[in-house]
Amino acid sequence: MDITELQEKQATILQLSGRLDANTAATTDTTIAAVIGRSPVVILDLTALDYVSSAGLRVLLKAAKQAQTAKQKLLLAGLQPAVKQVFEISGFSTLFPIFASRGDALASAS
Amino acid sequence: MGDDRLLLRIANDVAELSRVAETVDVYCDETGIPTDVAFKINVVLEELLMNTISYGFTDGKPHEIAVTIDRHDETVTIEIDDDGVAFDPLQAPPPDLDAPIEERQIGGLGIHFVKTMMDTVEYRRADGRNHMTLTKRIVPDAD
Repeated sequence: MDITELQEKQATILQLSGRLDANTAATTDTTIAAVIGRSPVVILDLTALDYVSSAGLRVLLKAAKQAQTAKQKLLLAGLQPAVKQVFEISGFSTLFPIFASRGDALASAS
Repeated sequence: MGDDRLLLRIANDVAELSRVAETVDVYCDETGIPTDVAFKINVVLEELLMNTISYGFTDGKPHEIAVTIDRHDETVTIEIDDDGVAFDPLQAPPPDLDAPIEERQIGGLGIHFVKTMMDTVEYRRADGRNHMTLTKRIVPDAD
């Protein structure tokens, strides 16, 4: 898992690249939690995320709960078809605003 | 195409999951298993092996879990065999997929993935061992 952080106006974008699984969940969790703590809008760009399991969904659910409590926006963008299917099977599609691209997510946040 | 079999013997250690994923990806690529099916095999193996590694062994000793994958013409068969405590994942209660964020939980999702992503799932307890048999149809260019 590689995570790249970018800033676009008030939004912080985290590009997740690789696998979000039992082995990468802890470090991903730490990174996302820190960003949600200091940015009003966080966009997770999942264009390069190849894989997610329930251990990975745990990280995203925790982030959603954290963002809701802090009244901050957490947006997802660019889900690959297989990742999107995991979201649908798990009922996660309704937990997040999901956009086709990072640009769409940014446009909705501004 | 003739039968091709992958046999993996792994330790009851979460760190083994990376090796499993890499080996399964190579196997699926070499045997022409479509990437969407390979993705599902990886998810299902991670969920079941995580369960077994996390909760299956209570004696603190090293154990071996055997995973086999057989690519047939139209299906893939996955078998997982371990000597952990008896646990039938098919008896786990289903997760609530509609709960609001604050009440949403992860528990049960892994088994839900197994049931949803595979075509058949069987659990058998025999001779002090857990044995799971999963099958998945290979349908190229679908999903």
